[in-house]
Amino acid sequence: MPKHNRFTTWYLVALLLSLTIALGGVLVAQEATPNSASQANEEQPSSVEAEAEGSLPLPAAAAPAVADEPDWMEQVDGYFGAHIVGPLYQVLFFDFWSNRWIPAGTPEEVTCPDPDCGHTHKVADLYPSSKAPIVIPCPDCGEEICTGAQVPLVVLWLFLGAIFFTLRMGFINVRGFWHAIRVTKGDYDKPGEEGEVSHFQALASALSATVGLGNIAGVAIAISLGGPGAVFWLIVAGLLGMSTKFSECTLGQLYRKVDPDGTVSGGPMRYLRDGLAEIGLKPLGVVLATIFAIVCMGGSFGGGNVFQVGQSLEMLRSQVEFLDTYPWVYGLILVVLVGVVIIGGIRRIASTAEKIVPTMCGLYVLASLYILAVNYHQIVPAFGKILSGAMSPSAMYGGFIGVMIMGIRRAAFSNEAGLGSASIAHAAAKTDEPVSEGIVALLEPFIDTVVVCTMTGLVIVVTGVYDKGLHPECAEFITDGKGAPLTAAAFSTAISWFPWILTIAVCLFAYSTLISWSYYGERCWSHLFGHKTAIVYKILFLAFVFLGSIVKAQNIIDFSDLMILSMAFPNILGVALLSGKIRRALDDYWSRLKSGEIKTAAEMEKGIES
Amino acid sequence: MNWLPRRIVVVPIDFSEASFAALETAVEMVADPSHLRVVHVLPDLEPAEPGVIWHTIDDTGREEHAAKALQAELAKRGYEGLATHVCIGDPGHEIVNYAEQLDAGLVVVPSKGKSALQRLLLGSVADRIVRLAHCPVLVLKHH
Repeated sequence: MPKHNRFTTWYLVALLLSLTIALGGVLVAQEATPNSASQANEEQPSSVEAEAEGSLPLPAAAAPAVADEPDWMEQVDGYFGAHIVGPLYQVLFFDFWSNRWIPAGTPEEVTCPDPDCGHTHKVADLYPSSKAPIVIPCPDCGEEICTGAQVPLVVLWLFLGAIFFTLRMGFINVRGFWHAIRVTKGDYDKPGEEGEVSHFQALASALSATVGLGNIAGVAIAISLGGPGAVFWLIVAGLLGMSTKFSECTLGQLYRKVDPDGTVSGGPMRYLRDGLAEIGLKPLGVVLATIFAIVCMGGSFGGGNVFQVGQSLEMLRSQVEFLDTYPWVYGLILVVLVGVVIIGGIRRIASTAEKIVPTMCGLYVLASLYILAVNYHQIVPAFGKILSGAMSPSAMYGGFIGVMIMGIRRAAFSNEAGLGSASIAHAAAKTDEPVSEGIVALLEPFIDTVVVCTMTGLVIVVTGVYDKGLHPECAEFITDGKGAPLTAAAFSTAISWFPWILTIAVCLFAYSTLISWSYYGERCWSHLFGHKTAIVYKILFLAFVFLGSIVKAQNIIDFSDLMILSMAFPNILGVALLSGKIRRALDDYWSRLKSGEIKTAAEMEKGIES
Repeated sequence: MNWLPRRIVVVPIDFSEASFAALETAVEMVADPSHLRVVHVLPDLEPAEPGVIWHTIDDTGREEHAAKALQAELAKRGYEGLATHVCIGDPGHEIVNYAEQLDAGLVVVPSKGKSALQRLLLGSVADRIVRLAHCPVLVLKHH
C-alpha cells in the first residue's frame, strides 16, 4: 500500500516538525535573559487580567514554585503572554477607554497598574467621606487607576448584531422554533436533494464543534468572575444568538458550492466574497473573506484548540497526579491522537468521537438535573440570585455592565453565533431550501447555551462553589481561571465520583472540538493557499495542541477569546450587509410553507396515493 | 494535421475554462477523438468533513458522481463519447501515473496564472507533470 506509506511518512515528518516548532519557542524564550523572562511571566498575566476585568482586583499570578529559575514551560508561557497575547489584546479588545467614563460600582481595593509601583489601596481609606471617582489617582506614584466598566468593542458588536438580526428577521428565533424541530426530524426531507448529510447530521456536526469546554469551563469562568447574574445574560445572549446563527447559516447554504464529486463547500469565506460581489461590493467582499479566513485560522488555534487542551488538562490534572508534574505528556498524547486523524487520514476515530457528542450532551444534562434535584430547595433562591445578580450586581463583579459583558462574552464563545464558523458545517446539509437549514441551525445556540450552559450555570449557583467564602477549597480555581475543575467541584458536592465521569466527558468534548475546528481552519487555509498545502496548516495546528498543554490558563483564555471573537468583525459586517437577501429568502420560504406549497414527506406520500 | 498517429493523448480537466481550451487544442492534434483520454483528479477527503464523519460520502460514490458530472459537462460542450477517467489523490502524481499506465504519447495541460506565493509553496500542477512525466508534455500558455 504505497498510499498508506506516504501518509505514515508525512505523519512522522509532521510530528517532528511540530515538536521542533514547540521547542523553538522554548529556545527563543531562553534567549531572553532569565530575569526578563520571569518578569514577563509574572507581569503579563496580571496586566492582561486587569485589562480584561477592569475593576476586578484579582490577586497577582501565583508565584512559581522555584522562583529563581523558571523552567522551560514557564518560559514558553511568559513568551506567549508577553509577545502574542498582550499586543493582540490591546488592539482587538480595544474598549474606547470606557473604563474611564462608564461607572461600574466602586471596588473595595484598587491596585496601581504601574508595574514599578503596583501598590494596593483600600478605596475606603482614600475617600473616607466622599464617593470615589471612576478614575482614582494612585497616592504613591500618581498613576491613574481606572475602575470603570470595560466594554470591549467586539462584545458590543456581537450583542448589537444579535439584536439587529432578531429584529431584521422578525423574531425568527421564536417563530421558527417548532418548524426547526420538524425539519431536523426529517419531516421535510425529499429524495435527491444535493448535499452530503441530513439536517440532523449537519446539526450534530456543528454542535460537536460548539459543545465543548465553553459549556463546562467557560460558564464556570463567567460565574466566578461575574457572579450568578452572568447566567442571565448568558441566556439572553443565547436566545438572541439564535437569529444570528439563522442568518449566517442560511447564507452559508445560499452561496455554497457543490463540487463535481458531490461534496459541498461553503462558509463565510464564500458568502462574504460572492454575496458582497452580488450587491456591488466586490472589493469589500474579497477583503472581508480574506480577513475572515485568517482570523478563523487563528480561532482554530485559540478557542478551538489551546482553550480545549488547556481546560481539559486542568481537569485531568486535578484527577491524575502524573499529569500535574508532566503536563506536556498530555499535549503529546493529544498531538498523536489528532495527528493520526488529520494527517494520518484515519477516519474512524474522529467519526466515533463526533457521533458520541449528542449522547454525551444528553448525559451531561441528565447529571445536571440530578444535582438540581438533590439541591431542589436551592433552585428558587438560585433563580433569585441570578436575577438580582443580573439587575443589581455587587461592585465586586464589575457592576451591571461588567456582569453583562461577562455573560455575553462567554455565550458568544460557547455557541459561536456571529462568528460564522458553524455555517461551514451547515453548508453540507442535503437540501434544496437554504432557509430550512438556517432554521435548523437556530437550534444550535438554543441547545448549546440555553440548555447546556444554563445547566452548568445552575449547578454552579445551586452548589455555591463560585463563592470563595462558602467553598474556600475552590478559591484557587477561581483566581487562576480554571473553569473545568470548578464545575467538577460543583458536581462532586452531590456525587463524589462524578468528577471522573466529567473528566472523560471533558476530554471527549475537547477532542471532538479539536477535530471539528481543524476542519474549519483547514477550509480557511485552503481558501487562501489551496488544498495542497493544507499539510502546513495541520502541522501548525498540532504545534498549538502541544502549546496548549504548557501555557498558563489565563493566557490561554485571553488568547482564545481574542482569536475566536474577532471572527465576528468581518462576519457580522458581511451578514448585516446581506441581511436584505436573507430576509427576502426567508419571506419567500415562509409564505410557501404557510400556503402549503412546501409539503412534508408524509403529505407528499398522501398526495401520490390520492 | 495530426502529429500523433495511434498514440494516446491525456488531457486533465479540472472544470476550468483553461482546461477545456487545452482539450480543444488536443482534439485538433489527434487523428481520431478515440485517442483522447480525459482525466479528472479529485482531492483526498478531509477526515473531519461532515459527510466523512457520517459515512454518507465515500470515494467510490465521489468517483461515480464526478464521472457523471464530467460526461455531462463534455456533452454540453459538444464532446460526446470521449473516454474519461476519474481518480483521487495529488493531481500531478495521478495524471502522470495514468499517462504511464496507458503508455500515452502526450499530456496536454494549461499553465494557470497563480500567485507568486502559491507558486513558491507548491508550484503548479503543470510544473509537476513536466517534472515527473515519462512522455512529452505540452504546456499551453494562458492568454
